[in-house]
Amino acid sequence: MVTKNEPVGENCCRLTLDFPKDSLLPIPGQFYNIRCSDRTDPLLRRPFSMHRLRKESGILCLQILYRVIGKGTEWLSARKKGETLDLIGPLGNGFVLNARTDVVLAARGIGIAPLCAVAEAVRSMAPDSRLHILMGARFKDRVFYQKELERLGNLHLYTDDGSLGFRGRAPELLLHLLETGKVPGTCSLYTCGPAPMLMELSALSQRFGFEGQVALETHMGCGFGACLSCAIPLQPDSIKKTPLWKKPALQWSEDGRTCYSLICKDGPVYDIREVDWNEWLA
Amino acid sequence: MSGLPDGSVHIGPLQLKNPVMPASGTFGYAEEYASFMNLNLLGAIVVKTITLKPRVGSYPHRSAEVASGLLASIGLQNVGIERFIEDKLPFFEELKTPLIVNIGGESIEDYVSLANSLDQQATVRGIELNVSCPNVRKGGMHFGVDPEVLRELVSRVRQVTGKALMVKLTPAVTDIRLFAEICQRQGADAVSLINAPVGMAVDIKTRRSRLGKNLTGGLTGPAIKPLALYCVWRVCRAVDLPVIGIGGISSLEDALEFFIAGACAVQVGTWNFINPRITLDIIEGLEKYMVEHHLKSLPEIQVPKIGEAVTSNK
Repeated sequence: MVTKNEPVGENCCRLTLDFPKDSLLPIPGQFYNIRCSDRTDPLLRRPFSMHRLRKESGILCLQILYRVIGKGTEWLSARKKGETLDLIGPLGNGFVLNARTDVVLAARGIGIAPLCAVAEAVRSMAPDSRLHILMGARFKDRVFYQKELERLGNLHLYTDDGSLGFRGRAPELLLHLLETGKVPGTCSLYTCGPAPMLMELSALSQRFGFEGQVALETHMGCGFGACLSCAIPLQPDSIKKTPLWKKPALQWSEDGRTCYSLICKDGPVYDIREVDWNEWLA
Repeated sequence: MSGLPDGSVHIGPLQLKNPVMPASGTFGYAEEYASFMNLNLLGAIVVKTITLKPRVGSYPHRSAEVASGLLASIGLQNVGIERFIEDKLPFFEELKTPLIVNIGGESIEDYVSLANSLDQQATVRGIELNVSCPNVRKGGMHFGVDPEVLRELVSRVRQVTGKALMVKLTPAVTDIRLFAEICQRQGADAVSLINAPVGMAVDIKTRRSRLGKNLTGGLTGPAIKPLALYCVWRVCRAVDLPVIGIGGISSLEDALEFFIAGACAVQVGTWNFINPRITLDIIEGLEKYMVEHHLKSLPEIQVPKIGEAVTSNK
């Protein structure tokens, strides 16, 4: 049931729901597939990452942070307190959190949604760790959530046009922080945002040798591994398959040179070096 | 119990307890749905197309939502027959619901070989021929649009299996009845229709296909229901075979339209993604409907036939 649905920035809203009874607790990076329609158009459910779990007046609440970008999210933004939503989740695999002294969270726009849950989890897991939050957008008015993020860690803002904070994009800002020693090369990175940004961050992780994990956004059909719509190419040599990194949905080509993974089932979180960014962006 | 309506259906040697099943390609290998429902309640389960060799499938960016529909190019991604038998079949041994395996190939020999392998598996109760996949370069649609090729394909597969044999037809032909008649003459036990017609969507910002390098995809979902219903209605009046209606079914009411048009069973496709329990909702709803309307068996719903008043015009 919806308890709150409030604007938090330009075209960005935060939805608070009573946590569904008898449901598994989500971990940061997992997502919910929500029916954003009561008719056949829009048709499919829309995937939203878990933004935060929090107690409000003693009741466990699930928060979803979303940007209104189409018919589905417009419908969602019109939902009022007391209405019920049809959601499936938690789905997918979340972030594998490591206790590092320096943790970098890099987001662009609504990509911040799953990273707040990471910040809170890191805070409770390793209270002494330093959290560096990189948040930005194209220009000043698009940047939101500043106050919330300042409470979570060291906030570094950026805008493409320099109208607020660092002038440039997240990879350039991170490079600057690494080169000036404000962030050590031993950090671990958690990131979510547009694929070109993730690709550039991946290149930085190779160059400086830090570890990184990405939460990917994509269109999905079902969200639970049946429709095979959300395939993403992985780098065959870099695939992580360990008890913590389960990948039940890998499909290899006959010659073993191509490997597709389903974002809904194996992801949406991947090691930053696993994804074949060039092929994904082609 | 004698008081309950009878929703059972015969498809060749196979008896289904009710006429509702998921459509191939929308139900994975069924295990994906086990957490949502009791799979034993389904009339049958049709799994995703299996090919001889594993297939990695289409390039990424495989789907795009359009008005009341889904465009998708999955490209028959599947684990291949060997791994299917080894890894996926054991799951069905525990189930009471009959398993129908959809198969696809690049040559008639591929289909024969697949049917041969599956014929030896007791867990497999039926075979559905995918002769109309819109998203593969070789084979696929080719078999479903050439009457001569279809004739030979169905005849050759029929020779190697005694299991229930269904042929899934494409609407992308001039007269679908001709293809259904061929299936009947060559000994198929049923035809299922329609497979997804091909469609396209363009992103006006990037000026590229919304399916990326795949360019086109199969159109499914409520958008194709009127087309599907028309094809089913035509075929039902042309052949004396069980016809399984597929295309845009999202509710009991949609399924009823297909039954009234003459289908003996229905497959639910894209709506499984939206409501994973839709097949069960339809099964429950159908039973209630039959009780309320005093229908003892499903074919009674077809009387009076909607066809008769309008057939003379066609």
